[in-house]
Amino acid sequence: MTCDKYENALLDAASNGELHAKLARHLERCSTCCMTLRSERKLFSRIDSALRAQVNEDPRPRFLVQLRLQLSKELTARPGSDRVWYVAGAALALALIAMSYPLVNARRSSVQGSLQMPTIKAPQSPGVTQSTRAIEDLGVRSRHHSKLPAVQSAVPQEPEVLVPPDEQKAFAQFVACVARRDAIAQAVVTPAANRTVNMTTELPRVSSVDIADLQLGRARQKEWIDRTGISE
Amino acid sequence: MQEFTWPGRTVETELASDLEKAALRREFEQRLEECGTLAFRVARGVLRNAADAEDVAQEAILRSYRRFGRLRDPSRFRAWLVRISFRLALDHGRSARRRELRETTWATDLPKPTAEDIAASNEFGRRLQEGMAELSEKSRLVLLLTSMDGHSLEEVAELLRMPIGTVKSRLHSARKQLAGKLR
Repeated sequence: MTCDKYENALLDAASNGELHAKLARHLERCSTCCMTLRSERKLFSRIDSALRAQVNEDPRPRFLVQLRLQLSKELTARPGSDRVWYVAGAALALALIAMSYPLVNARRSSVQGSLQMPTIKAPQSPGVTQSTRAIEDLGVRSRHHSKLPAVQSAVPQEPEVLVPPDEQKAFAQFVACVARRDAIAQAVVTPAANRTVNMTTELPRVSSVDIADLQLGRARQKEWIDRTGISE
Repeated sequence: MQEFTWPGRTVETELASDLEKAALRREFEQRLEECGTLAFRVARGVLRNAADAEDVAQEAILRSYRRFGRLRDPSRFRAWLVRISFRLALDHGRSARRRELRETTWATDLPKPTAEDIAASNEFGRRLQEGMAELSEKSRLVLLLTSMDGHSLEEVAELLRMPIGTVKSRLHSARKQLAGKLR
């Protein structure tokens, strides 16, 4: 069909009203294309008028009244709501800090636990029950599972003392002797924690300490057994 | 009862802040009538009914009011509002269409009517909306703004910050595409 090549030109002519000379000459002798052009022009005109009618519609008069009312509400509500948001933000920040603290603490203790220094665990006090031992076992296990930091932080940590290898035996004996005497143990440990060590100076060498087993009289021994429940 | 004041904020800073807000509000209200109508018309160009367009226009105006103080160039306010209204209306239209699709089944096997029949039929408006919905967002916005009274091609180009040649080509292709859908 020879008119096919004028299809785009017809659409352009209908859309923007420009009629090229070549198309005009063709339209003089082709009634079909003339009808198509008229039809397309009618369609474009209809589209334009429908769009204009839709887009140039005015809102109802009460629309602007309602809008002003909403803006007034917005203005009166905003200062108060700002403060509410400030307070809510501060509360949220505090809650986040409180939630993250055990995680940070657990991470720190797991890093400390991975140090290569040998440790000696202080013996349990006689008041420790079976259930608390179970919880402490859970704490020890959870140290090896990094996915469960919350469990580790939730249980009480077993006290650990870092002891140089050459002093382990002496310290073990010492701990055995002062076991269950928390006041003495604390008195021994506390000054060491506050002591500052100058890394540039040589540390004093202390020879291993032999502490003999306590030699108790029969009466003191009975009292000891009564108090501690340990026969040796 | 003494009013609560945040630490570091004196009465003077509170007063200055209130004055600034009042000035912003006055400036906003001066533009409200013109911009309220503009927001409504943009929304109406996208949505099928005037009530939805009013809701969208109100939301667009409130949003623009909340952020009015942060606008760097106040002369760009109209362009900014047009974009907010257009986007909100598109979102509203999409959710409405999803609702409609769930509830309606359209007949698909009917014979295609001629262009003149379509123009004469009552379905023209509905099909026009469907055709508009299939246009790209950029072409659609150009078509809407150029159809609005008082918006010449130059003004639309300035509003959308694009060359006038781009506006013309988008308008032309949008109309042809729309006619193709309606034919």
